[in-house]
Amino acid sequence: MIGQERHILCQALAEAIREASAAGQLMGRGALLAELRARNLLGPDEPNDPDMGALLAETLATYRDLAALTSISGEILYHVPALLSHTYAGILDRKASPLLLIAEEVRRNSAEYPRPVPLELFEQSPFDLLPERIELSLKTMAGSPEFEDISFITTSSGAVYLFSSRHLERPYAVFLAERADTGLLLNP
Amino acid sequence: MAEVNGGFAGKVLRVDLSTGKISFDDSVEKYREVLGGTGIGYKVLWEEVPAGTGPFDGANKVVFATGVLAGTGVPCNGRTAVTTLFPSCWPKPLVASGHMGGQFAAKLKYAGYDAVIVEGKADRPVWLFIRDGRVEIRDAGHLWGAGIRRTTLAISQEMGPESVVAAIGQAGEHLVPLSVVMNSVSHSAGGVGAVMGAKNLKAIGVQGSGSVRIAGDKSEWERLVKFHLSILGGNNQHVVPSFPHPQSEYYNPSSRWVGAPGKRWGAAEPPIEINGGLYDLNRIAFRSNSGAFYLGEQAWQYTVRGNGCTGCPLRCHTILKVPSVAAKYGIREVAQNTCGGMVFGRSFFKQLSGGLFGPASLEACMVGMHMADDLGVWCNYGQLQRDLIKLYYDGTLKAELGSAEYASFPWDKYENGDPAFLFEILPRIARRQGELGHALGLGTGGLLAHWSIPEEAWTHDAACGYWKLGHPKHHANEDDGQCGVIINTQYNRDPQCHSHVNFIRNGLPLAVQKKLATEIWGAPEAVDGVGDYTPMNIHKARRARWSLVRKELHDSLGLCNWMGPWVASPLKERGYTGDDSLESRFFSLATGQRLSREDLDRIGERIFVLHRALTIRDMGSVEMRSRHDLTPPWIYQAPSGAQAFTKGSIRMDSQDIAKAMELFYEVMGWEKATGAPTAEAYTRLGLQYVAEGLAVKNLVPGGKR
Repeated sequence: MIGQERHILCQALAEAIREASAAGQLMGRGALLAELRARNLLGPDEPNDPDMGALLAETLATYRDLAALTSISGEILYHVPALLSHTYAGILDRKASPLLLIAEEVRRNSAEYPRPVPLELFEQSPFDLLPERIELSLKTMAGSPEFEDISFITTSSGAVYLFSSRHLERPYAVFLAERADTGLLLNP
Repeated sequence: MAEVNGGFAGKVLRVDLSTGKISFDDSVEKYREVLGGTGIGYKVLWEEVPAGTGPFDGANKVVFATGVLAGTGVPCNGRTAVTTLFPSCWPKPLVASGHMGGQFAAKLKYAGYDAVIVEGKADRPVWLFIRDGRVEIRDAGHLWGAGIRRTTLAISQEMGPESVVAAIGQAGEHLVPLSVVMNSVSHSAGGVGAVMGAKNLKAIGVQGSGSVRIAGDKSEWERLVKFHLSILGGNNQHVVPSFPHPQSEYYNPSSRWVGAPGKRWGAAEPPIEINGGLYDLNRIAFRSNSGAFYLGEQAWQYTVRGNGCTGCPLRCHTILKVPSVAAKYGIREVAQNTCGGMVFGRSFFKQLSGGLFGPASLEACMVGMHMADDLGVWCNYGQLQRDLIKLYYDGTLKAELGSAEYASFPWDKYENGDPAFLFEILPRIARRQGELGHALGLGTGGLLAHWSIPEEAWTHDAACGYWKLGHPKHHANEDDGQCGVIINTQYNRDPQCHSHVNFIRNGLPLAVQKKLATEIWGAPEAVDGVGDYTPMNIHKARRARWSLVRKELHDSLGLCNWMGPWVASPLKERGYTGDDSLESRFFSLATGQRLSREDLDRIGERIFVLHRALTIRDMGSVEMRSRHDLTPPWIYQAPSGAQAFTKGSIRMDSQDIAKAMELFYEVMGWEKATGAPTAEAYTRLGLQYVAEGLAVKNLVPGGKR
């Protein structure tokens, strides 16, 4: 493949990633290869995988609005953070595993902001978990050492919040949960 | 001094209700050094209202003043400051101001006025007619006794649909200290209704056909307005949405930016679905829904749209239409308000069936808005409601009220959270009926004195939220540690300052907040995590100073301090930085007088210090630290027994707060021992005449006391 051809392929890959991000989707290697074929950029006599690893590395280096993340499946996924943020991309990726989806979101919130998160958050978009699924996930977590840091708080109004004990001490998490649950509503 | 070619309307209207004399001052010539708003208000009170004047005396004046940026295209510009001697300030009335949004400020500017000074006392009920250069004192006999809505309607019919009416209700007429003046249906200035009532002034109707001249380059002005729009967040400048969104790196479930794509204004005709990009400049109004924030998901189906002030895209006064509540209680289907005004009704109840997001809460809010926004009762930032709760549940009412009066209230409804109770209590407050109605309307200080209750019963009770001088805390240590405490010591009512809390609650991760704090205030230690407070440092004192100065600046420019300052933004590409020089850039373009951020902040400080001087003069004491800048004991206590600086506690340490006050006085250039500005501080701010006036009374530190 000559330089000019590689340039066209990289450009097409970038466009495909941008279009997918605008539509709220992450793109993996297979989907991008299919995009190249759909755009008639790969002839029928081209090999099945035209050195996609190198092409994608070149695309990332050329188009600085693009980013990559390592999926929970180990696959490299591509997106445009301005259209599909790192945070949102991570959530979309982890939707395949409700346990990880909940745990990682709780950990990230506890570590960064810091704050516990209301359980009902996971019923809403983009998490979209059914209450039964959330309950099942939490029960599974409770018996798994991998998730032993994920803890519960029930506020004085009965709302449930989750936090990670790796990042938040319980008394502080209780304070923050009460503040978020009713404290801010009563303190306009 | 540089020439001023825009921004100012040019005139200050002066109306003497005792004599009927109407006159005009040149606002640039006389008031440019204090900009407008509270600046004009404080200056008028300093120069024209002698110490010892009572709030209801004819000698007291009430100053409706807006600012240079009001009525322009600057976002969030619709504010009017109403400054006077506050009847709810206790044990002695002192200067304070209420602040209202709506359309009054813009209309006043378009009529040609930066401010209206009302003095004297009419011998009969009147209202003030302002249509451009035509100003008349008109008879209000037919309006006296009417609520704010009827008054507004009647005057609007007389003046035309383009007019704006600021009116008092029955509470103001009956000289209830906790009363408001309200314009544009729901935009109120608390604490000043009774001062108007004492002057027999029912309302001001204003219509203006002019405009505000912008002196600077128009395309530069438009670019700056667009830039300002681009760094706006949701209500209270919460810069991240409450929901994860593909375009946003951060979110915060507690954010007031609640307008997620797919949510619907269900009571609009036809219903409107929120769509488009998160940062689209023509969709900023979708971000806020005070109903949804305070009442939960149920509010979306009742939402008609957002309403708000001139030039503000945020529309924080959410219009709710709830026919079922109207049918149940015989009230209007539609109500609108924001924050404390929206939750006015429900805040009376210790508990509500279904909680804050339940149907009873919605009903109480609707009934509360229907009544309070017509009767013109002021909540004193929620202290009115907390006072009733405390008085009832600790048995004071049973002890103090006569048995007949006590039995006349449906206390079972009160305990059960039945909104019908509001029909019993609110009219009595507005008309000073009975012992309870009278006492509650006095404000906390007045009612404590009325029933000989020691103030300590309130100042030791954290749940009561009381701070000092008859007024409550307003974003104190529970939000912002020592910075919040300092700010809450400075005013003669609740401080109404949002410069600090809008930053603290902006929703960005703590590391990002600390990065911004380093850029703005010089060190990451200027900001703590909420409830994770560290000992006092100089950077926090500087932030407290900045917060107060910007508050006065906004109040004097016609900008909204409920939204500003705009030092954080939603923009990742800017590292979430806002713009700390926005106010001075707008001021320079509007007036043609180029002022740097530091220059304009110096004027804000001048205004703030003028308030301090007025307080010193009217208290007759220079001992501000020991007599005025007080903190309630509850901030040094923790129900859990936790020590100060324990994570998860908002408990303060008394020695640390003493240090905080000293550092604050230091950065202000005030004397540490007294907390009073020094002669040098007055001089540095161009307030030599103030220093001289105080020196005559031995009220400048270093002089004879």
